[in-house]
Amino acid sequence: MSTLAPRAAAEQSSLPLGGEDPIWNAFRTELQKLGAQLTSRLLAVICIAGPFAFAAVLKAQSGTPSDALFGAWVHSSGFAISLVILGFAGTWGFPLIAGLLGGDLFASEDRHGTWKTILTRSCTRTDLYAGKLLAAGALAVALTLLLAVSSVLAGVLLVGAHSLVDLSGVLIPPGRLLGLTLLSWLLCLLGMMAYTSVAILFSVATRNGIIGVLGPLLVALLTQLLDLIGRGVGVHLLLIGSAFDGWHGLFTTHPFYGPLLISSLVSVAWIAACVTTSWRILRRRDFLATTVSRAPDWRTPVRIVALATALLAVLALLANVGPAGDTAHRLSAAIGEEFNNVTLLQQQLIGRRVPAGAKLDVLPACNRRAAKAVGPGDWNCTLYVYLPQAHSVPFQQTSVEYDVSLEYNGCYKAQSPPAFIGGPTMLDAHGHSVTNPLYIVYGCFNTL
Amino acid sequence: MDAVRATGLDKRYGTTTAVDGVDLAVAPGQVRGLLGPNGAGKTTLLRMLFGLIHPDAGSVELLGRPLDGLGGGALEEVGGFVEEPAFYPYLSGRANLTLLARLDAGPSATAVERALARVGLERRGEDRVAGYSTGMRQRLGLAAALLRSPRLLLLDEPTSGLDPGGTRTVAALVRELATEGVAVLLCSHQIGALERVCDAYTVLREGRVVWDGSAAELVAQAPASAYALATSDDEQALRIAAEQVGVRAGRSTRGELALAVHEGCLDAFVFALGDARVAIRRLDLLVSPLEAMFFALTSDGAPLAELEPVELAETVLAGAER
Repeated sequence: MSTLAPRAAAEQSSLPLGGEDPIWNAFRTELQKLGAQLTSRLLAVICIAGPFAFAAVLKAQSGTPSDALFGAWVHSSGFAISLVILGFAGTWGFPLIAGLLGGDLFASEDRHGTWKTILTRSCTRTDLYAGKLLAAGALAVALTLLLAVSSVLAGVLLVGAHSLVDLSGVLIPPGRLLGLTLLSWLLCLLGMMAYTSVAILFSVATRNGIIGVLGPLLVALLTQLLDLIGRGVGVHLLLIGSAFDGWHGLFTTHPFYGPLLISSLVSVAWIAACVTTSWRILRRRDFLATTVSRAPDWRTPVRIVALATALLAVLALLANVGPAGDTAHRLSAAIGEEFNNVTLLQQQLIGRRVPAGAKLDVLPACNRRAAKAVGPGDWNCTLYVYLPQAHSVPFQQTSVEYDVSLEYNGCYKAQSPPAFIGGPTMLDAHGHSVTNPLYIVYGCFNTL
Repeated sequence: MDAVRATGLDKRYGTTTAVDGVDLAVAPGQVRGLLGPNGAGKTTLLRMLFGLIHPDAGSVELLGRPLDGLGGGALEEVGGFVEEPAFYPYLSGRANLTLLARLDAGPSATAVERALARVGLERRGEDRVAGYSTGMRQRLGLAAALLRSPRLLLLDEPTSGLDPGGTRTVAALVRELATEGVAVLLCSHQIGALERVCDAYTVLREGRVVWDGSAAELVAQAPASAYALATSDDEQALRIAAEQVGVRAGRSTRGELALAVHEGCLDAFVFALGDARVAIRRLDLLVSPLEAMFFALTSDGAPLAELEPVELAETVLAGAER
């Protein structure tokens, strides 16, 4: 043993450090570099500890992030915490992670003057580019999965693996909920890769790490601004942000996959465009100077801001082009069915027996406030409920008013004054305080 | 087969011509010095040889393999660096070499240790490069070049930032590698450092090759070398110099004697001084044949051969200081 161990060590140290495949060698090299950097380590820590901190803070207070989809349910189901985090991540988290991972990946070689060091080895530019791309992609996937697992664990451990009301008002059991939640995270991977590709493009094109990091955030901001305007679905579906909406269709009684499919194709198109462009820039580049000047250059940011503004203006003009996704008919149909489901659920929670197949006779009427009844924004829905009675008048009519905040992607949050449907919490049949399913209603409909 | 064969290399940036129709060849075992004033195109040429810059015209073959401009396979067994070596400051010297060894696929951990030891960095291998001095980075650059057991070394100012001991070590290392058959292209503005190690020279000016040949040819063609002379009788020395073939002498503004001596003419002058019982107290080489040739080829002023010795020395030294 004593003679074998040193021999094995000697043999090990005489083995080539790299393998046969140059792309694999470049990939491992990039992973080693990324792993040694504080940013990557910090991101990993945030992805692991962040959801636990978020869940702990929510648990310590009575308030809820009710504006976020499933936000009102964070005290009732751990899975709601994971889905709320997924919603935040889709808006700002993924662009930030992608920017921090990919935005400095190429620009840092300019900052350290190391392009000439690595390009004069046995790897070609193609190998190095592919290695960097794969490393950024692998880390982006790893961090996304880490965040997914961590958020589910945080929710389940701190709140509990309880069932959750879906986006049609139906209770989903924990087992299926776990599957749907993890699947939703997985479906966001393509969008995450698209943002990473954008970061890489900014990094290669500007050779500036700060712009590389901010690039995806700029795209996300642009997406956010466009989401506020325009009634057409066309432009929205072409933005990377749509990739983080696709999973909503899984949480409805009648799942819809159209937006998911289109946003996946759009993500692939963004990835292809960014990767191709950045590769062409890198392939044709002459590596002249040793270091990039650290003197602040105001021209590049100004050009980027000008370009982004021009792009935003064009997209804003195009935002009304194409069929409207948010219509009064779609909203009325969705909220009417959902109101029926959550009312029955509320009755079950307070211990009343609800026969199988029971259904309310609901007539919804939705209108957009102070505007044409299409597009995202503030809506008002009145739900006329007809209750059967054994009198001369066969039906008694009662109405419930909901203030609806509708987004471009067909998702909405509807809230009614407590006078109509009670407060945010109520007592169930066992005397426990539970979330009132009628107080805030989340829903989504297919905009295609 | 030449280790480097560059033919008709051109590189232009807008209206500026950085490299203009350069042909260059380095044979195995040869140490070729690449000389030129600032802006002559040395670094651009070196970057083109490494595939970092795409030439507008011309072709490059390294060790018989054509360079396609994307590096990689054509750079197998080619080591070196251009301008000052650069590494990842947040990694240790050893980690940097390990990373480069992985990109090369071939070298082992043992090779990394060997390379570190060869440049005297074995004890500082675990330190982060951020804490390295310029000289240590230069040594690490050499280690990175040697890591892949090169058959061709392209080195840009390899002694820059090194102390005199380090400079001598590098010179000895280059000669040692050349005797092993390694072809070396050495780019430096420290002409003295090149003079001791190069077998051949290529001189660039404004992107063009203005001289190319062996060290012996250069010495033979070089204009007069310049010396500072102090004797027991300077007036007598001046008179003797005036009678000597290939020797011109004068007095500098500080009253010192300066000589311009053509190759092979110094010995006769020294013997003549001895015969006249004039003692030589100091004879310093101010301008070597290589330096004289370099400045003759790259200066814009009057031909050096026509200058007075004092002017020659002062012109050359002023040029060197620039």
